[in-house]
Amino acid sequence: MKLKLKRFRKWGEIQVLWFAIPAMIPLTVFWILPMFYIIYLSMTDWDLMSPVKTFVGLENYTYLFKDPEFYQSLQTTLIFTVGSVIPTMIGGLLLALLLSSKLAGSGIYRAIIFSPWVTPTVAVSIVWAWIFEPRSGMANAILSELGMQTVPWLQNSVWAMVAILIVTIWKGLGWVMVFYLIALQSVPESLREAAHMDGAGRLTCFFKVTLPLISPTTFFLFIIQTIDSLQAYDQINILTQGGPAGSTRTVLYLYYQAAFDQFNVGQASAVALLLVVFTALFSLASMFMSRRSVHYLS
Amino acid sequence: MKLSQLLPRLSRHASLLVISFVIAFPFLWMITSSLKSDGEIRRFPPVLWPERPLWHNFSAAWEAAPFGQYLLNSVLVALVIVLIQIINSAMMAYALTHMNFRFKNALMAIILTNYMLPVSATYLPSYIILSKLGLIDTYTGLIISNAVSIFSIFLIRQAFMQLPKELAEAAKIDGAGHVRILFSILFPLARSSFIILALLTFITNYNNYFWPMLITKSPELSLVSAGLRSFFVEGGGYGMKWSLIMAGSTFTILPLLILFVIAQKWIIKGVSNAFSVNKG
Repeated sequence: MKLKLKRFRKWGEIQVLWFAIPAMIPLTVFWILPMFYIIYLSMTDWDLMSPVKTFVGLENYTYLFKDPEFYQSLQTTLIFTVGSVIPTMIGGLLLALLLSSKLAGSGIYRAIIFSPWVTPTVAVSIVWAWIFEPRSGMANAILSELGMQTVPWLQNSVWAMVAILIVTIWKGLGWVMVFYLIALQSVPESLREAAHMDGAGRLTCFFKVTLPLISPTTFFLFIIQTIDSLQAYDQINILTQGGPAGSTRTVLYLYYQAAFDQFNVGQASAVALLLVVFTALFSLASMFMSRRSVHYLS
Repeated sequence: MKLSQLLPRLSRHASLLVISFVIAFPFLWMITSSLKSDGEIRRFPPVLWPERPLWHNFSAAWEAAPFGQYLLNSVLVALVIVLIQIINSAMMAYALTHMNFRFKNALMAIILTNYMLPVSATYLPSYIILSKLGLIDTYTGLIISNAVSIFSIFLIRQAFMQLPKELAEAAKIDGAGHVRILFSILFPLARSSFIILALLTFITNYNNYFWPMLITKSPELSLVSAGLRSFFVEGGGYGMKWSLIMAGSTFTILPLLILFVIAQKWIIKGVSNAFSVNKG
């Protein structure tokens, strides 16, 4: 009897294997294995072609920390992340507030605002490249219509970043809005009414009641948006290729250039690993902070 | 309706109309620009609607680059990936929710850790692995490297957890095996989650740019984003023929906008449900 049970258990576990294998094989080959492989690669000086890989220890890292281009890319990443995440989140929240109470046709507004999220970044970036065209583009036409100086957009290191941020925010607004719409629906009307009874104005009510209650959504969106912006590539590749003069080259862009343009595998792997470490540290830090400031309604 | 109620409502409509117009503007501008003549498109300030819309710009762009081929490639690759992910996510989610085994928590931990990793970090090692397998410049390589999605596994796991456990128990007593329970009982009950998985996976893979471009070297294997980009750089001569470039962009964007119009409710609901699932 005991033997039979044991055999049964074994059979059960073999069956589990069958169910896990179709996902586990690609997961192992293209997720788990690469993570270990990249640690090893970051300690070599391989060029993707030659048969020999020389082990160089931590040389790639020490070189990186002396490289001004790497520091520039860190700064660019910070500017891009802050400049895209914060406006997207504030804008998405405002749109959600505008749409949260009953309004005829709100479904249509919601769909239009969300639609950029669905479309391919490469194609819409090309459309935006046309809008930002300095001589006959729409962006400069609007500026001159408003009586302002036209700008060289993608050819200028400050305006190029602004252009990329506009595209990124435009694409992400609807996504953030949809999450806030759901969060706002779950704020009990009775709480807001109670605050009104106590004489709180609309603004006080928003900051003291609504905002704390939707803070789990804010926290979640903040993490997802930040991780997303650390991985932004398509719009940068189409609009500026990291230029002019490296002003839009983020850490990720630097990694791709080192890996696939210069075949500097060791360097590129070191950059990629640092990116992984940033992401992990960031997630952990925000989880730690959220314990203190996020309010969960239970 | 009282005026005090009507006014705020009108002002909300007004601001939402303006915002919607601004957000939809690039799409509208893309279409009107693709109808302009070479002279018209370079005029400053720009004309909003061409005097004589040149519809044949679309056929000219369609012939200037193999957009039909690119679109077919993208749709085909995305559909195969959707199909594979439906099956392997369902099976994995079933193992995680309806089977007992020793390393269940370890398996869950591995999957969770990978969820936090930036995918792009794995591109270089994955590329080297694919080239060692001799799968560079093949759809096999492109498809198997996208065959698993941790997001999809989570989505289906969540759906299965919400189904009453008694269903599977009852079927087991009636002598149904795991495969039967999964595909003829759980699968139909969780179909809304599978529809969401299919839509989101299709959109992601249709829109995918960098990784497919890296894997597929031959132009005839290009997916639509990479194809459009090379038309933009070479064929379109970086802004020499904006109307043709806009027509090409229209070919690329329109299929997804149409899909969005049809499945709008599913996509929007799916996005918010699917992601809020992972909060808990």
